[in-house]
Amino acid sequence: MSRRSGAGNETAQGKEVAPAASGRIQRAGREVIARLGPIFALVLLGAFLSIATPHFLKVDNMANITRQSAITAILAVGQTMVILTGGIDLSVGAVAAISASSSAVLMTQRFAILGVVIGPLNFELGLLVALAVGALCGLANGLIIARGRIPDFIATLGTLTIFQGIALIITGGLPVPSHITATELKGYLPPQMIWMGAGEVLGIPVAGIIAVVIVVLGWLLLRYLALGRAVFAVGGNREAARVSGISIDRTKIAVYFLSGLIAAVAGFVLAGRMNSSNALMAGEENLRSIAAVVIGGTNLFGGEGGVFGSLIGAFIMGELGNGLNLLNVSAFWQRIVQGLVIILVVVFDQWRRRRLTTAA
Amino acid sequence: MPREPSSAWTAAIRLSEGIPVSAEGLPLESREPILRMEQIDKSFPGVHALDHVDFELFAGEVHVLLGENGAGKSTLMKVLSGSIQSDSGRIIIRGKTVHNLSPEYARELGIGMVYQELSLVPALSVAENIFLGKPHKSSLGTIDWRAMYRKAERSLADLGLSIDPKTEVRRLHVAEQQLTEIARVLTAQPKIVLLDEPTSALSDAERERLFALIRLLRERGVGIVYISHRLAEVPLVGQRVTVMRDGRVIGSLDVKDADEPTLVNMMVGRLLTEQFPKEVRAPGRRVFRVEGLSVKGSLHGLSLELREGEVLGIFGLMGAGQPELTRAIFGLDRRSSGRIWVDEKEVLIHTPTDAIRHGIGLLTRDRRMSLVPALPIPPNVTLANVSQLSMHRRVKLRSEARIASEYVRSLRILPPSLNRAVMFLSGGNQQKVVLARWLCSRAKILIFDESTRGIDVGAKAEVFALMNQLTGNKAAIVMISSEMTEILAMADRILVMRGGRFTAEFAAGEATQEKLLRAAS
Repeated sequence: MSRRSGAGNETAQGKEVAPAASGRIQRAGREVIARLGPIFALVLLGAFLSIATPHFLKVDNMANITRQSAITAILAVGQTMVILTGGIDLSVGAVAAISASSSAVLMTQRFAILGVVIGPLNFELGLLVALAVGALCGLANGLIIARGRIPDFIATLGTLTIFQGIALIITGGLPVPSHITATELKGYLPPQMIWMGAGEVLGIPVAGIIAVVIVVLGWLLLRYLALGRAVFAVGGNREAARVSGISIDRTKIAVYFLSGLIAAVAGFVLAGRMNSSNALMAGEENLRSIAAVVIGGTNLFGGEGGVFGSLIGAFIMGELGNGLNLLNVSAFWQRIVQGLVIILVVVFDQWRRRRLTTAA
Repeated sequence: MPREPSSAWTAAIRLSEGIPVSAEGLPLESREPILRMEQIDKSFPGVHALDHVDFELFAGEVHVLLGENGAGKSTLMKVLSGSIQSDSGRIIIRGKTVHNLSPEYARELGIGMVYQELSLVPALSVAENIFLGKPHKSSLGTIDWRAMYRKAERSLADLGLSIDPKTEVRRLHVAEQQLTEIARVLTAQPKIVLLDEPTSALSDAERERLFALIRLLRERGVGIVYISHRLAEVPLVGQRVTVMRDGRVIGSLDVKDADEPTLVNMMVGRLLTEQFPKEVRAPGRRVFRVEGLSVKGSLHGLSLELREGEVLGIFGLMGAGQPELTRAIFGLDRRSSGRIWVDEKEVLIHTPTDAIRHGIGLLTRDRRMSLVPALPIPPNVTLANVSQLSMHRRVKLRSEARIASEYVRSLRILPPSLNRAVMFLSGGNQQKVVLARWLCSRAKILIFDESTRGIDVGAKAEVFALMNQLTGNKAAIVMISSEMTEILAMADRILVMRGGRFTAEFAAGEATQEKLLRAAS
């Protein structure tokens, strides 16, 4: 801690002596490193793994990493927006699970409500149901945080278990489709859903394409829409945003709504990949998505960052897990390594930020 | 008290004659200073806050540190109290050079600082605050509450205060809080006491009590640095005065030689007419009216009106309710009553969005409250316009950049870079970015809330010139300031606030510093 701040001072003093032009170049260089840092890390890690294990660079393995990372990447887009406002959404994985599971139940089973027989729904209606459930969950998060005036962390921690509970009730605690539905009703998940999770177009996994599309949409929203501007303003300086007429509440509700909606897409892709949905799937994704956002260079306290970084962050997480598997590192140790990486990245990020502000 | 400086002055002299020698028993001249600061230098992003400053303090003297807001007085004292590290320079205390001063180390060295912004913990009791970080322990190692309350009561009594030490600090008046803060610093028995504008929240009687206490401390050989921007206080407390401006020491003199014109000249560094380029205009039609505005606990039935091209000054001491007034008008805080008219039409303002829609703009008391530091100039300039759009509407980035660069040019914002985050701009330039925002939102009613705080003299003059331009373009300005010189020079009309009420109204010609102070305190 003290050593780090000492290094910062040194550069600050060195800069005063240096002529202004070289200072500008230094600063520009630092900004490039800051922007591209995650990409460097991704490439470096990839280079190391391709030397360390012959299996890493194989096409199959690449596709595998892409499919795994895609889920995290999609969730991370919503998570990025939330974190940019200074919030945090601990419930994204649970929203993915509840929306995919409720839609999966409706797509594989038949209900009779007041004599009207519903289901099994087709793919399009199923997707619509999933999106609606996800959006509803996100809206609930946003309303609880904005209107209830409680910290984002607590609110989404609460809804996380609530959503899991509801999902367990809906699925009866069984995977969907279960043996019973599959044998008795011939109820399988629609092929389009499986294609979304496991299919390929020109050798590229569909899940990866979906992730990239959602990242691009997120980028456009953050850059060009009034909402995007509000997101950065609220996260960068809440009070300033308020004085400038931006409604903090509405901005918050909007990002949590979007986070829920996007989580539904992720849930759909994940269930498709596994050819099955269950109430507790994606449990690890709550934290993985946050890790991806932070590794991607978004400030955990809001106001700075973007979705492309999060995409890279998600792939770093995927690459790391995959690489550790290939290197025969035990699953127990993998957890430790992943945790350390997250901590180190944030330590580095904080240090970089301090230098940027003190050296100006 | 400030109205009769002569009698207090003689009293002070008599007192100082009563103690010809200091605590160390040496005559004043041959003594080593207990504190010497040499060539202290400190830069913040965009501001050279301290420019190789020298400063000296003897035991048993009150050294007044005088200067406008933003001159660097507080920064210098924060360096001394260890809360800011200087970039270069030496600090010598009782003949010994000290390095790596931290707040804890400064306390060990016997330096006690009373901050301008209160540093008490509101939810803790008075006694807990006084002994914060060093509670009284019994022999068992548990906290000895009884001893703590007893001692707290005694040190409060020293200040002439009868506050129950068990009271939570947030239940005290601002003045009582300030005195509690002073009591806290004094219980550590410091040898060097730094008082940063200690009278800003005090009434006359409380101020008198504080001055008496300062005299007592002096007799005990304590060295005191008294920071102020009030000229009238200089002869009342000090023996020597050092004037700072724009981060530099302009000069140190004996209080005997420091008459008011000399000090003003040193503080401002230029003639008042250059500093305040006021153009008088005939006010136009009424554009803004507030009636019966109340906020529970702070404002009581305030009414005001504002005409086109007019600058309405609102003066008051700290705690009189000025920030509450702006917040209530702008929809940041809930009003308990009060109606507002814009252009003779009654408007409902519940949120800042409403206020902006009706053409009101607010330059906040703290620029950091207005700017998004990590964003560059263009989004900061257009924020009040973008906030009026629906969320799904597009922000036209190209025309935004064009508009921003126009304001950068016309307001002379430096450096004129559209890509760098505004946190790297100097205070004056940041203030111009905030002003550009309200010009961009086409605000016709502008509230300048202490808008020249912490920016240098040159930037202040520019802000005043811009106020002129604005009123020339038929804008109306509410100027809230606790700087009497500023408000006297710039306002067409002055309302004085005290305890959440308007206590007097003056036309530009009628008001004097004396009259303002009398109405305010």
